[in-house]
Amino acid sequence: MSASAQETHDPPAAGREQALRQVEQFIYREARLADEHDYDAWEALWTDDALYWVPAGGDLTVPAERMSVIYDNRSRISTRLAQLRTGRRHAQDPPSQLRRVISNIEITGEDHGDIIAAANFIAAESRERGVELWAGRVIYRLRPAGNELRMAGKQVLLVNRDQPLPTLAFLI
Amino acid sequence: MPVDGSGQVPVLAADRPDYRRLIERARVHSSVYTDPQIFADELARIWYRTWVFVGHASEVAQPGDYIRTTIGLQDVIMARGTDGRVHLLLNRCAHRGNLVCEAQRGNAKSFRCPYHGWTYRNTGELIGFPFNQGYGGKGTIEAELSLARVPRVAEYQGFVFGSLAPDGPDLAEHLGEAARELDRLARLSPEGRVELTAGWLRHRTRANWKLLAENETDGYHPQFVHGSIFSVTGSPIGALYSDKSAAVTRSLGRGHSENDLRPEFRKAGEPMRWFGTTADRVPAYAAAMRAAHGPAAERILIEGAPHVMIFPNLFVAEIQVFVIQPLSAGECVQHSTAVQLAGAPELNRRMVSQSVGSVGPAGMLLADDTEMYERNQRGVAMLAPEWLDLRRGLARERIDERGLRIGGATDETGMRGFWQHYLSLMEGA
Amino acid sequence: MTTPADGPENSGSGGTVASEFASVAAAVDATANGPRLRLEDLRTGKVRFLDALELETIVWLPDGHLTQLLDPSADRWREGPG
Repeated sequence: MSASAQETHDPPAAGREQALRQVEQFIYREARLADEHDYDAWEALWTDDALYWVPAGGDLTVPAERMSVIYDNRSRISTRLAQLRTGRRHAQDPPSQLRRVISNIEITGEDHGDIIAAANFIAAESRERGVELWAGRVIYRLRPAGNELRMAGKQVLLVNRDQPLPTLAFLI
Repeated sequence: MPVDGSGQVPVLAADRPDYRRLIERARVHSSVYTDPQIFADELARIWYRTWVFVGHASEVAQPGDYIRTTIGLQDVIMARGTDGRVHLLLNRCAHRGNLVCEAQRGNAKSFRCPYHGWTYRNTGELIGFPFNQGYGGKGTIEAELSLARVPRVAEYQGFVFGSLAPDGPDLAEHLGEAARELDRLARLSPEGRVELTAGWLRHRTRANWKLLAENETDGYHPQFVHGSIFSVTGSPIGALYSDKSAAVTRSLGRGHSENDLRPEFRKAGEPMRWFGTTADRVPAYAAAMRAAHGPAAERILIEGAPHVMIFPNLFVAEIQVFVIQPLSAGECVQHSTAVQLAGAPELNRRMVSQSVGSVGPAGMLLADDTEMYERNQRGVAMLAPEWLDLRRGLARERIDERGLRIGGATDETGMRGFWQHYLSLMEGA
Repeated sequence: MTTPADGPENSGSGGTVASEFASVAAAVDATANGPRLRLEDLRTGKVRFLDALELETIVWLPDGHLTQLLDPSADRWREGPG
């Protein structure tokens, strides 16, 4: 590839900066909605072909044939949120007190028009049982829709996913 | 904790609690869930003596395959030898006691301890060690220093059990009436084989292991604990566990118990209803079952899978398998996976999907059970009323045509059977 | 119970090592709980799997030991007891 072709395909620095800012703002908002149990607003972030995946263990091949902590399509996300909204989901009644910090946000790629972004997080979850510390990497598949982004995929790779995990009933 | 008002736990000569005074026919004392001494006693008298489920043959399908598993607090290697047999070894080098295997699974016909290089066959024999002149050369001490073997290993329908006691009842005697429930599960495979190959979720649970074992066939809790998900999905499961249900709770003897839902499924008479679907939505599976079983297929497809707790740690809940791993009086780990049926790819993917939604740390069913276990563990630490009540359905129990004790769908018949067997193991010589 | 995955369809990428004296296919097999080398004597169809520790051991085998194993009487064409 020649130097001039490189420049044509590479968005100018200002455009890259703007895209990253938009991705960051989306990720921060998604985290806040999850922390605050704003189920309606969080659900509205998803596209119809959504995939919300929290793998268990190290094997990330053939997820449809392997046990995952969460492997929700759009319909399963709705069911999960509907259960939370009943107020009788005991593992979230009362809801966990939550705050997460998200950092190391990068746009790592592009796939069929979707932006692939990755970040690290640490979340503190407080329940009567005690404070649980959660940490890991999140890989987002974000889809530009007009001036906004929607979430088509969220994969949460917990650092301790190969170990026994305590109950994880909030939106990680 | 005081039992008789004297402020003292009554003890036997060897400083052991008098279990007859802690476990009665229709109530159990709180201390059996909280006392570290009782937990230590359980390790010796239950976990290191009776048959304990360790894994499934399909998890070590090839010669040289191994996985790490547990019996009580013991770290156990389950390996398939080149002889094709499954071997259970304690994961402890005979030299300095280091863990020999670190990976959760792998394929190796021999293991080499990372500390000093001692090398063992996957059947336990010590092959040798570096610089053997320090031990007087080759063939001097190898025979006396092997990996410790779990003295008894046996399988049933591919479910592998180990017993750390060199003798005692054999596996067939231990399983007793529960064996036919594993047969029922295997029969749902067109090839007659269950496989546990979808991987395990591990759920850390701050509760005594017995709260889980009791709950597995407690038909009284589903409408309360799982009401949220039943109402959202319109699930008919709740109705199976009501006072109007024709289902029964059966004590199978030796601490095993089941919720027998077949009376309800027979009433409906619809193949695959137990799986929440119809035969025409899984046509390849239904055809394979009819080819394999002939006219008997209809009954098999109507009656579905078992819901059976096998003492002390294996629970088959229709399409899921759970294993309870005790850690201490107040903590355990629940392992869960989806049943996979050989020759039923159409069903296997659905079973994984349903299981992932239901079980494990985020499961829409099991996270709520686990919340109950953990609150229950805090509750039983309270001083009074001291006892947990087990009398539900006692007055309406009866003996069925197989000579087994049954109660209604919501009765505590299974729990009473669990405690009777527990008591026989704990108070024995 | 055990179904040895010795069919060629289960083999990963590999190749054949052949001479006028022997012909052996080698491939890394991924059907077990960990990777292993699948070797097939193409003249007889006999298959052997070697794990990583066995392979490392072979690498370190002195030539003299290996040569002893090549004696036709050592194993395959041994006659009589002992």
